[in-house]
Amino acid sequence: MKLVSSKNLSEYFIIVGCGRLGANLANTLSEEGGNVLIIDKNKEAFRKLSPSFGGLSVAGDGTDFDVLQEAQIDKANVLVVVTNNDNVNVMIAQIAREIFKVNRVIARLYDPERECVYREFGIDTICPAILSAKEIDKMLLRTGSTEKLDKTACELKEGTK
Amino acid sequence: MKKKVLLVGGRSKSKSLALSLIKRGYQVTAINDIYDDCLKLAEIKKLSVIYGDGSKPFVLEDADAAAYDIVIALTSKDEDNLVVCELCKKRFHIKKTVALVSDPKKTDFFYKMGIDSVVCAISAVTSIIEQQAFVDEMANIVPIGEGRIQIAEVPITGSAPVVGKKIWEIDLPKEVIIGCILRSNTAMIPRGDTRILAGDVLVLISSSGQEIAAVKGLTGR
Repeated sequence: MKLVSSKNLSEYFIIVGCGRLGANLANTLSEEGGNVLIIDKNKEAFRKLSPSFGGLSVAGDGTDFDVLQEAQIDKANVLVVVTNNDNVNVMIAQIAREIFKVNRVIARLYDPERECVYREFGIDTICPAILSAKEIDKMLLRTGSTEKLDKTACELKEGTK
Repeated sequence: MKKKVLLVGGRSKSKSLALSLIKRGYQVTAINDIYDDCLKLAEIKKLSVIYGDGSKPFVLEDADAAAYDIVIALTSKDEDNLVVCELCKKRFHIKKTVALVSDPKKTDFFYKMGIDSVVCAISAVTSIIEQQAFVDEMANIVPIGEGRIQIAEVPITGSAPVVGKKIWEIDLPKEVIIGCILRSNTAMIPRGDTRILAGDVLVLISSSGQEIAAVKGLTGR
């Protein structure tokens, strides 16, 4: 998985939420030479980071302005919010954009219906349900599936929009 | 037509607010995502109760959120209140959104996000306790304009230093005026030459932070 091109090496990434996705992303970015700081409420969550993780970790509430300041959010080029709570992700993303003026904010959103809240703030969102539906759709097309299966995948995709 | 109010989350806050709003003639609906709380709320007459997570768009849609005039988000989580209000504002175009916030530092941020009224329970409670503890002669104090302005009722006892003085003789802090004098059963708007008598109740309008000094000056305590 190649996430950053070499010109981005000096960028400072903050990741909020050290779940499977957050930890994975932190490991990859760190391996590729990026400066990474990861925040999670629960200290135990940092066990998911690989032993070679070369970034920093902060145990604290990512919605707290003080914790974000401690993480030097004003210096961050990119902030990725991937906690398991959509509303927390919305709030942190908006705090990062509007209060700390972070250039690039990416948030995971389980429920794509909430996207309207993000749109006008210039926050990029990824939705696992939509991504999965697209991938499944692609797989089905690739394996030359029956028409019926195609249709189901398309419906699934439409339904999650 | 009755004004429609939507309350989201919060057990006891939602309950007491619903009771007082219904009494004042509003049509009230409560959304709550805890089933037991819903049962408690459903005991209130004339209150419609919806069981569900009010930060989810489809729940708000089921509740026909667009038909409401005011939404008040009362959950204990700041992020939920923010999202509820933003959804109501942006998707359902509700005119007035009110959010409870527990972290005082987030008040300004919530306003910035377009929420019409942000109530911080912690700062409200601490300021009331402060007033109660240090200015016990103050009968009543009402913050308005998000707490920037305070309206205070100050009873004047016989021992107060201002008794018998004219208003222009009193040395009040700069940002304080005596807006009204309640004397026995009448209310009068004072002029500079109005004399203050023992037993008067003064209604002060002051900028926040000035009222304690003003009350001390008036009552001598």
